[in-house]
Amino acid sequence: MHQSLCKPWEHRLSRRQLLGTAGAAAGALTVGGLGGLVQPTVADAMKRKHKQVLFIWLDGGLSQLESWDPKPNTQFGGPFRSIATSIPGVQISELMPRMATKMHQIALIRSVCTQDNSHSAGVARIQRGDPKNRGVTYPYFGSAVAKLLGPGDSGLPPYVWVKPGSGGFIHQDAGFLGAKYGSLAFGDGKPPENLLRHKAVSQRDDEERNELRAAANKRFAEKRRPEANDANSYVYDVAQALMRRQDLFDESKVPAKDWDRYGRTEFGRHLLIGRRMLEAGITFVKVNSYGWDTHGDNFNGHRSLVPKVDQAVAALIDDLIDRGLYASTLVIMMSEFGRTPRINGHVGRDHWPEAWSVMMGGCGLKAGAVVGKTNALGTFVAGDEHDIGHLFHTWFAALGIDSKQEEYDNNGQPLPIAHDDCHAIKELLA
Amino acid sequence: MRPLGCCGVSPRWCVCLFAIALTLSFGVVTGAPPLRERIDEIIERPANGIPPPLANDAEFLRRAYLDLRGVIPGAAEAREFLADKSPDKRTKLIDRLLAAPEYPRRMREVFSVMLMERLGADAAWDQYLEESFKANKPWDALVREILRGDEGENGALRGSMFFYTKRLENYGQNPVDKDGLARDIGRLFLGMDLQCAACHNHLFIKDYKQQDYQGLFAFIEATSLQPGGKPSLLEGLLTKRREFNSVFKPDEKHATGPRLPGGEEVAIPVLKKGEEFAVPPDPRKRTGGVPKFSPRRELAERLPRPDNAAFKRNIANRLWWLMMGRGLVEPLDQHHSENPPSHPEALALLGDELAAMKFDMKVVLRELALSRTYQRTSTIPAGQKVPRETFLVANEKALSAEQLARSVMQATGPVGHAARVPSDGHASRVSHEKALADFLKAFANPPRDPEIEFRPSVKAALFMSNSDLVVSWLEPKDGNLTDRLSKMSDARQLAEELYLSVLSRLPTEEETSALAAYLAKRQDNRVQAVKNLAWSLLASTEFCVNH
Repeated sequence: MHQSLCKPWEHRLSRRQLLGTAGAAAGALTVGGLGGLVQPTVADAMKRKHKQVLFIWLDGGLSQLESWDPKPNTQFGGPFRSIATSIPGVQISELMPRMATKMHQIALIRSVCTQDNSHSAGVARIQRGDPKNRGVTYPYFGSAVAKLLGPGDSGLPPYVWVKPGSGGFIHQDAGFLGAKYGSLAFGDGKPPENLLRHKAVSQRDDEERNELRAAANKRFAEKRRPEANDANSYVYDVAQALMRRQDLFDESKVPAKDWDRYGRTEFGRHLLIGRRMLEAGITFVKVNSYGWDTHGDNFNGHRSLVPKVDQAVAALIDDLIDRGLYASTLVIMMSEFGRTPRINGHVGRDHWPEAWSVMMGGCGLKAGAVVGKTNALGTFVAGDEHDIGHLFHTWFAALGIDSKQEEYDNNGQPLPIAHDDCHAIKELLA
Repeated sequence: MRPLGCCGVSPRWCVCLFAIALTLSFGVVTGAPPLRERIDEIIERPANGIPPPLANDAEFLRRAYLDLRGVIPGAAEAREFLADKSPDKRTKLIDRLLAAPEYPRRMREVFSVMLMERLGADAAWDQYLEESFKANKPWDALVREILRGDEGENGALRGSMFFYTKRLENYGQNPVDKDGLARDIGRLFLGMDLQCAACHNHLFIKDYKQQDYQGLFAFIEATSLQPGGKPSLLEGLLTKRREFNSVFKPDEKHATGPRLPGGEEVAIPVLKKGEEFAVPPDPRKRTGGVPKFSPRRELAERLPRPDNAAFKRNIANRLWWLMMGRGLVEPLDQHHSENPPSHPEALALLGDELAAMKFDMKVVLRELALSRTYQRTSTIPAGQKVPRETFLVANEKALSAEQLARSVMQATGPVGHAARVPSDGHASRVSHEKALADFLKAFANPPRDPEIEFRPSVKAALFMSNSDLVVSWLEPKDGNLTDRLSKMSDARQLAEELYLSVLSRLPTEEETSALAAYLAKRQDNRVQAVKNLAWSLLASTEFCVNH
């Protein structure tokens, strides 16, 4: 009957927030200076070694059975075999031969069990960590990390998103943290419009006019509420920082052998751009791949899609290790859910949040850990189930953030950064 | 949990909102002081007899122009107003702005953004709105036409149907979002976002019931888009009450006919088969027919009425937001008993006065513009924090893409350039439209994202910095800003012309000397120096908010 089911993050304002003090309500709808940390010193402590995140999102749903949790020769196993990995006794799908050699360098969880089997709600629900409903819109993981770890010293925006299709500034990701923690999306890895300094404006003139602008803003802000000027100055600062790093979008600078190693595919190209963003110091880089919703022809679909990801991610892990970045970079690859063990009438697999797998690696994680398992048919988790809330706690812990202590301050409303009833999965942590 | 204290307000102006518990409605009493004075009395009450200062002339001038004309004043107008010594010059300015041909255009833009939320553009809709504001059509009449969704005699009201037709289209791969339409009717005309009450009573807002949502939905349940040809509406037959149940209690069945939140249910008449239509559907002409019982007509008759409290307070709050930069209730679509207005008396007063004045928005906007509350300065006394909802210091407002486009044009163009609606030849109109489109792309929010608060973006900053359009407007040409300034040798004169043209005020001594110092430093290229100075002000916060 209703196509637009009520989504938890639509419950925008809690009663408490609405009844909050004058000051709290005042800040609720302005930009910038929102949702400060209860303990702002944490971000300072982090700076010593700036931690980063690479978040690979396979939109539509990677089949666990054709990747991390194969069940060959069983009722729902599908046509692919499983192969040995660099960890004795652990097998993954034959579609991932390169990642099989990296198993001792990554961590895997096979007992993920989440709550939502629809895309429209599921994507946001997973990326927001599915916290307990308090009537507020939680930030996506990227916005959360941008807030909690800060932008580092690159001057670049803390949260960027390399994706197929169009780009833009996706402020909705930020939830109650406020627009400045939204993502800057580079559609097809291309720079945003108007990034190049106009040919009629010299470097010197651009610098001078921006100094004049900053001076004018300073005079204006002396006698005004700070929010408008903070927000406006921030976007110009980011624009300037991006203009200084135009090389990030110059693909002619990338050696041909890198393109070959990542695979000359859209995803390979985007992941390589993502690596360069990490090298430039951006805190959180999300790379999207679309087209994983294989309700029909699941096996041909995965035979085409998975090897591309296998090649690119394996190359990426090599590169991060080579550059000394892996120990400080948390790498995550996941979807909004797994796919049904049952094979439908279109030789497809449908949405399955009940039992699926997530790959991660790098910063703060135990290399080679393989946690949780599913039953013999792969239909359900055998043993402890782990929801996205557990994963959020785990990732925060890996980044050195105490998710049981740390809170957001949403205009006076303290909010846990991950689901209160979940906890970090110790077996995954170094 | 941290205590929620009284937020660092100086004791002098400390506003204890909770103290204002009583909602007194002044009602409409003949011989009562003008509305503006009653509003000021309510707003200034917490200031304990020491109301904070008013805006100076320049601040007021720029604000009134932006709010009522949609563009900053030109340098000549600013000079003239600042020099004017007559005591009633603010009143005269407001009356002039309200009578000007740009006023309906400005209101069309305000209400188009408010009601369509950048879902799409439509020339007939624009024309309908602009003509409505030109004729000063009362708000209730406007809403009645929009909710009726008929094309009127000879298609005169065709443009009004865009509110429905756009929302009943598919967008992208998504199916028609009729729930979204019901939700928007609640949000935009009643100030109630009932989205979360679609499937169950609202979890946090006890006033928002599933029955309210379902009753509202029932009014538009039978309405759909007529397939083929120009977008028009089809209304089928509504013959039975709408059945629903809470997702939390699937076994408890409920039903409702068309019903406004908190109102009486409209009885669905039982009509004999074959007699349901006033004009029967004609399959050959592919017309859908006109039902005798039209829930949409019921909606149009029942919703916009002076005895509908939600209807009154919604428009009162939205007009207040428009002028004061913040609603008395925020968010604008969250009116309910647990989210009280910052000034309940002011909201009640404004709603009642609107109804008493037969929803004449121009009269009410005039009263608001004449109030001291509107004319407060946005500067804050050093070391003090004044919460926004006290309205004791003016709130900065975002400029819409349209306001920005016209204001940048006005500031950079020849004297008097963009103050007029362009009618001086085709070329100018085309370039004007093109410029507007570029600004919309850079500054407008994405569709369905209300433009309520100032929310700058990196995209817009890059546009202001590097777009051909903005750069070209700063090239010296035919008496435009750069041309005029480049020909001035005296730094003081140049500073005055620049600040009046861009910021609609005179420069301070500090600003004049900073400008002189920069000009001295850039003796190598005067034109370039002027461009840099002009750009720095166009990109400044002072320019891109209405303060």
